[in-house]
Amino acid sequence: MAEVVFSSWGGKIVDNRQGGEPEAAVFKLPASYLEEGSVGAFMGWDGVIVFDKEIDIVSMAAEYIKRVQEKHCCAKCTPGKRGTRVMMDTLARILAGHGDEKDLDILTGLADLLDNCKCTLCMTSAKPVLDTVKYFRDDYQAYLRGGRKSKQAKAYHDKLTAPCMDRCPAHIDIPAYVEEIKDYRHEESLATIRKYMPIAAVCGRVCPHPCETNCRRALVDEPISIMVLKRVASDYEWIHHLEPPMQPKAPTGKRVIVVGAGPAGLTCAYYLALEGHQVKIIDMLSEPGGTVAVGIPDYRMPRQLLQREADIIAALGVEIEYGVKLGRDVSLRELKEQYDAVFLGTGAFKSKPMGVVGEDQGYEGFSPGGINYLRAVALGEPIETPKRVIVVGGGNTAIDCVRVALREGAEESILLYRRTRKEMPAESYEVDDAEDENVKFIFLALPTKLITENNKIIGVEVQKMELGEPDESGRRRPEPVPGSEYIIHCDLVIPAIGQDPDLSYLKDGDYGIKQTRWNSIVTHGGTMMTDDEGIFAGGDCEYGAMTVVLAVGHGRRAARVMHRYLMEGKVYLDKEDAMEDIINNLGAFDKNEKVGICGGLHREHQPKIEGADRATHYEEIELAMPESQAVREAERCLRCYRVGMLAVN
Amino acid sequence: MINLKIDGKDVQIASGATILDAAEKVGIQIPTLCYLKKVSPTGACRICAVEVEGADKTMTACNTRAVDGMVVTTQSERLAKIRRQIVELLLVNHPLDCPVCDAGGECDLQDICYSQDVVRQPFEAEDVNAATIDHWPLIQQVPNRCIMCEKCVKTCHETIGASALFVNEKGDKAFIDKDLAKCDFCGNCIQVCPTGTMISKPFKFKARPWELRKTPSVCTLCAAQCQVDMHSKQGKVLRVTSEDGTTLNDGNLCVGGFFGHDYLNSTERLTAPLVDQQPSSWETALDKVVAEFSRLRDEQGGQALAGLASPHLTNEENYLFQKLFRVALGSNNIDSEARFSNLRAARVLQAQLQLDGASNRLDRVGQAEAVLVFGADLRAESPALNWQVQNAARKHDSRLVIANQRRSRLVAQAESFLQYRAGSEAYLAGALAKLLVDKRQADLDFLDRYVANRDELNAYLDTLDLDAACAATGVSRAQLEEAADHLGQAASVAIIFGRDVMGSANAEAAVAALANLALVSGALHGDIGGLFPIGGKGNMQGLIDAGVAADFLPGLQDYATGREKFSAAWHVTLPESGADSAGILKGIEKGTIRALFLAGSNPLVTFPESGRWRKALEKLEVLVVQDILANDLTRMAKIVLPAAASAEKRGTMTALDQRVNKLRIAVEPPGHARPDLAILCELFARLSGKPEPSEQTLRREMMELGGHYAEVCQNLEQRSFCWKKPYAPTDRSLLAATPELTTPAAADLQLLVGKCPFQFGTTTTYSAANNELAPAGLMIVNPADADRLGVADGGRLQVTGPAGTASGKVMVHAMVPPGLIAASDNFTDMNIQQIMPSGSNCVPVTAVKA
Repeated sequence: MAEVVFSSWGGKIVDNRQGGEPEAAVFKLPASYLEEGSVGAFMGWDGVIVFDKEIDIVSMAAEYIKRVQEKHCCAKCTPGKRGTRVMMDTLARILAGHGDEKDLDILTGLADLLDNCKCTLCMTSAKPVLDTVKYFRDDYQAYLRGGRKSKQAKAYHDKLTAPCMDRCPAHIDIPAYVEEIKDYRHEESLATIRKYMPIAAVCGRVCPHPCETNCRRALVDEPISIMVLKRVASDYEWIHHLEPPMQPKAPTGKRVIVVGAGPAGLTCAYYLALEGHQVKIIDMLSEPGGTVAVGIPDYRMPRQLLQREADIIAALGVEIEYGVKLGRDVSLRELKEQYDAVFLGTGAFKSKPMGVVGEDQGYEGFSPGGINYLRAVALGEPIETPKRVIVVGGGNTAIDCVRVALREGAEESILLYRRTRKEMPAESYEVDDAEDENVKFIFLALPTKLITENNKIIGVEVQKMELGEPDESGRRRPEPVPGSEYIIHCDLVIPAIGQDPDLSYLKDGDYGIKQTRWNSIVTHGGTMMTDDEGIFAGGDCEYGAMTVVLAVGHGRRAARVMHRYLMEGKVYLDKEDAMEDIINNLGAFDKNEKVGICGGLHREHQPKIEGADRATHYEEIELAMPESQAVREAERCLRCYRVGMLAVN
Repeated sequence: MINLKIDGKDVQIASGATILDAAEKVGIQIPTLCYLKKVSPTGACRICAVEVEGADKTMTACNTRAVDGMVVTTQSERLAKIRRQIVELLLVNHPLDCPVCDAGGECDLQDICYSQDVVRQPFEAEDVNAATIDHWPLIQQVPNRCIMCEKCVKTCHETIGASALFVNEKGDKAFIDKDLAKCDFCGNCIQVCPTGTMISKPFKFKARPWELRKTPSVCTLCAAQCQVDMHSKQGKVLRVTSEDGTTLNDGNLCVGGFFGHDYLNSTERLTAPLVDQQPSSWETALDKVVAEFSRLRDEQGGQALAGLASPHLTNEENYLFQKLFRVALGSNNIDSEARFSNLRAARVLQAQLQLDGASNRLDRVGQAEAVLVFGADLRAESPALNWQVQNAARKHDSRLVIANQRRSRLVAQAESFLQYRAGSEAYLAGALAKLLVDKRQADLDFLDRYVANRDELNAYLDTLDLDAACAATGVSRAQLEEAADHLGQAASVAIIFGRDVMGSANAEAAVAALANLALVSGALHGDIGGLFPIGGKGNMQGLIDAGVAADFLPGLQDYATGREKFSAAWHVTLPESGADSAGILKGIEKGTIRALFLAGSNPLVTFPESGRWRKALEKLEVLVVQDILANDLTRMAKIVLPAAASAEKRGTMTALDQRVNKLRIAVEPPGHARPDLAILCELFARLSGKPEPSEQTLRREMMELGGHYAEVCQNLEQRSFCWKKPYAPTDRSLLAATPELTTPAAADLQLLVGKCPFQFGTTTTYSAANNELAPAGLMIVNPADADRLGVADGGRLQVTGPAGTASGKVMVHAMVPPGLIAASDNFTDMNIQQIMPSGSNCVPVTAVKA
């Protein structure tokens, strides 16, 4: 990391320009940019960071505001549209040696006026410019006096982002699609989403929406219902029987095989197909969606909609063959030979062991795992759910299991978790939903032994726990209370502790594909390529069991890189990718920011089927948010766009 | 309710209201520029910035929702400075062409500069100086004057549903661009533009705003009758506008209302009476009419005379027209073009539902929870209803079900699209009614209370076979079920039906089935929703109400039944019977009808079998044409009486939603032309020997004898409109019908006659603006049919139907399904009615490349 020469980032001034003992300042910015050169300075919504004193900050400010005005300013408010234009021309005048002192006042005054902008794009863009006027006044004076020649950096790279967009693993342009809903343009909204993710119906329903934890509106009142608005946009097309407008580009003649029709595979296939590549997906299941299809119950994610998303992708020319398992029906070597590139999106569907005595004995009434149970139910396999079911775990899969068990006829469905409700990784609304359906929760309890009779489960011995000091995850560590063991009777135990990828298909050859110690595939530098050239991987098999939206992000990034690989034979990140990662690393959200506007508006919630009765069927519980309500919700969005720019020397 | 304080004043306002709404409520004015009440707030200009306690930044009043306990300041030094600077920014490089700018004198930017004390320009930027966009028809765009308020974009999208306008480019180069193919040319972008950015080309440089005389009136080009202001200078109407907020149409106009008025100034206007095609005095012309008609009456009896009136005439004129024939001429051979559409619907609705037209007000559509649009292209047939549907679907979460043979633009907004086959309308409406009953979604309260023959309805619906309905209509069971769910789950339903229904071969059965559906779905229940037959041309409803039909007296009273009552009232013995248009045509052909009086009616273009009419008219001894524009008909006439257009005369017209509008005189008729009422009054007096009736007398008679106009409608001095008697059926007085269900015969190729979206009757084909958009009739053909027929877009097709052959230019478009050609009857050149039989607007045809 290069030493900071000057920084006004976050309002904290670090000024090492005068020499002496340098004041330390650390920013998560890379020292160099791709192969191009060293990072000289960064300018953005929160100020200016200078690493290289050779950077001509006035020229950089002029370039920054020019890009804001010409490339990013939406022109939809007066101060933004005209204010940044006047700033741009004023700075150009100063650079050309025609400026005067009054121009600095204009810049300062406009920076103030831009506080009245409609959104934060131009508003925050005034901040670094103002900082340069404030802290690099001598440089400005040199221009005003005349004689100073503008010195441009080797290159500048800019990126438009927003806290939500940055936090979203798929980097969806959230402010854009939310605004389109606000403007009653649902089709456009979906088109915007589709630039980043093809399965909006899924991520509009079951996304853990990390974006909402980065929502600036939450600093004022409550975060925007970003996920639900995505569903609104997606459902609009479906409800109105509209034809999706996408058209693939002309065929390239390149053939790609995608293994796994889960979110990562579908996404990768979608973007590759749009580029004109001939894509085939193989999947071991009999329907699309992977874990989303067979691991998320229909009352949360109706499979007909998943099928619709897959149909849309297939309509782009993607062939999907079901019932084909990699490593069983076809080898990776064969695929590698037959196709120009391979994408592995094989997921993580192997249940983790619970670590309890007897779990490997094959007792009747002991499920191999939550995900297995959900899959068996989803596929209509002949399994019977007895009267009293215990599910062990605190994640979404555990919650899905207890709720599905009720729907499958269990009279009592109990969730056993070793910590408390507060520490549960499951979405809190899903825990509420389970409670509404009369699921029983037993917290601070750890199964220690399976109780059996004639090789059949009749109960579990559990030990009470208490919370101790926080562990590395920040959650308080559960510690057993000695001598507190007791027995809970039940007919079925389902461990839902977590899942691992099943990479057995790598064993039939020497592919050189490295794996992590968590049994996932290693890829490199954000390219999603494995150690075996031409083989890419993404989603749960690459990261370990994670979220749908991460899989989508991986699938899209992989498709972008694979496209370059297919067309140019080179594997690299382009500027868009690189800047995306750089900004993501730096972070675009300050949870301590004082937003300075008035709030008091509640977040809108979609209606849902209430009451325990709903646990008798698989109809979707969350109902469509009426469009007028969606518009009202979208109106709360602060459109927190911001532009960052790197100077490379 | 929410309590807040603005400038020290306590305000209480409903939750969801903005600061601007709250301020308005207590009379505090916050300056605005981009704010337009009828569309969603944009927050673009930032002029309405206010200070809110607890917020460091200013908040814009137009799009910040008021919350409880809010303390707002609307005037301060800080705010004044911000507002001033914002306007200064707006003025950076704003052209100094105010003296010749179209908006000069009515420019919101001028006004805001004035009110915000903007007298200097501290900011400087290079002038982008974007070129004026001049290649759009009728509308010019001057980007340099644009303040990017997006009022036009939002109106185009949210209110009109055209979604043609959008912001193109970024930053200071951004401008309002347009997808021409989507544009309706309604001119609302011009109307809402606060500056001279969006300009009407026809109006440009015609007048300064302060030179114009503004006459409030109504547009009579279609039956919605939007409230307008006619702007005239030196006796010419130069533009038509409408005011937001105060008008029932909320300031919205369509291509007819905004651009279509040019026919008033057409060089083809009739300016002097003609006798034997020679200009003559009124005296000579009317003497001639009186002489010829009284001679024939006296020699051959009233049955030798016939007359056709029209929706271009006022209520009073139509009323007097039928009275002239029935009382003064002893002839009941009267009819109008309503015969082919709305009269067919009115008869059925009258018999079943005691309705002579729509059951409710137009604006009650906009709030309905479900809207069914059946057999209508609202964009063409009734823009005002389209705006209501936009409001319902876009802003009120309404479920939209479209039943249509063609894929109209609204289909993209519909939850259900039922693409049915011509002739299966009754089956489709019946199947929906059956499903509502089967799904227990029928409005039982309403049915129990109002319907006299519930059992009959149940038995009828019981026997309706859904599989047969699917087969007949071509609509799948799943689609039917889905549509029924949308209608069934809604607490309020609006049913709109149009020309495809009223003109179809089975119109009576179709309307009866829709009336049943209205009963079952609860469309007639409560204040929201309703049943709406689209009125077609201007005063279609008034024409029907006035009784210009051989089988109906005023108030849609059956002629045979009411004859005695009216004979007594009018002190005459009314003829025993009379001929409708078919009878009149036959009578002329046979020679039993010798004289025909056409008041605003043109059977040569507007009536089916128009070719046959042409031949028949040539046989007449006396043809009198009273009209405003010269055409083939006036060139055939023995006597031509130049009449006044609606902007040039007094009287009332009844809109499709039973609103009785008062016409005001914006300009005098050209030359020697006279208002129709004046002509008819004189003829009535001279032919009957009775005194000339006054406008008020005629209205009073209509009320007393017709019985459906409210008392208030008699005296409209202080008002611009009134409502007819509200629809209030009595208990167990409504009847469900048991219309015959027919499965349409298969046809290789059919032709459907409709209306061109850019033309209104043949009237606007005399307006240069409308002709720029639609100069000639088109035959719209599906790409598959075009391939089969070997014609390309822009080529010509010759089509032969039951009554003749016509040819026209081809437009290839998938909005029509394979096997269907759509053509409009607005064009004299194509004259599509010459191939159409009487009584069906969709017929099997053969087509060849021409």
